[in-house]
Amino acid sequence: MSTLNIGGSQLDASWFLLLSAILFVLGAAGVLVRRNPLVILISIELMLNAANLALVTFARQLQNIEGQLFALMSMTVAAAEAVVGLAILVDIFRVRDVEDIDDLSEMKG
Amino acid sequence: MAIAVFFVAAALAVLGGIGVITFQQPIRSVLSLVVVMLSLSVLFLLLSAQFIFAAQIIVYAGAVMVLFLFVIALLGPARELGRGRLRFQTGLSALFLLVLLGLMWAMVQGVQYRQPDKTDLSFFGSVQSIAVGLFTTYLYPFELTSILLLVAAIGAIYLSRKRIDDL
Repeated sequence: MSTLNIGGSQLDASWFLLLSAILFVLGAAGVLVRRNPLVILISIELMLNAANLALVTFARQLQNIEGQLFALMSMTVAAAEAVVGLAILVDIFRVRDVEDIDDLSEMKG
Repeated sequence: MAIAVFFVAAALAVLGGIGVITFQQPIRSVLSLVVVMLSLSVLFLLLSAQFIFAAQIIVYAGAVMVLFLFVIALLGPARELGRGRLRFQTGLSALFLLVLLGLMWAMVQGVQYRQPDKTDLSFFGSVQSIAVGLFTTYLYPFELTSILLLVAAIGAIYLSRKRIDDL
């Protein structure tokens, strides 16, 4: 039942889901290991994209448009997140050069 | 044919994802992310999501990535220092990520797929079908996203304004 008939070929929905899982883990690895705040933002975008792939896959498997609508919403949220995150980053960099995200830990109360 | 397209796009996406987290210069990470997004858009097309495909290329690979490139151009080349302060960060992260991948792998194997609804696949995912969903059942969330974008725009303008004492 999880087989998708795409252009005459049989693809399995779980292939798409596994790819989405791999991309999500790569993004999580970027957030955990990298220390440049810009690269961390980029990795978050990667994770959001992976989630979008899972949404669109389920939309196709159930042949239900709602998954695609949700993917559109999450695209909007991702764009808003990138805009605000980058604005904060530019504001921080105006005051000081941040090579390591841990440099900002002194902001804690 | 579709299988070959899937595997080429999937391989490109994974390679791009590895590039995002391994390149030392942020600009290369951004360009790797563009590769990921373009190959994901191909996969969206395979999953008969034509409108999401177009939106992915215009919004993500176009607008968001150009924003990242502008910020990198503004901030100048920032390099990462050799080591962080947390000694066990890499090892612990690797352990955590392996567990996460294993969990997700097991979940994907155990998904109970529902019998699909009967939909006309030539209509599914087209601009019309998206619009019917967005402007009938999901009109309220759709209008809320416009407020979200407005708030994000105001927030970005507020954060990046010139302060009085800077002048």
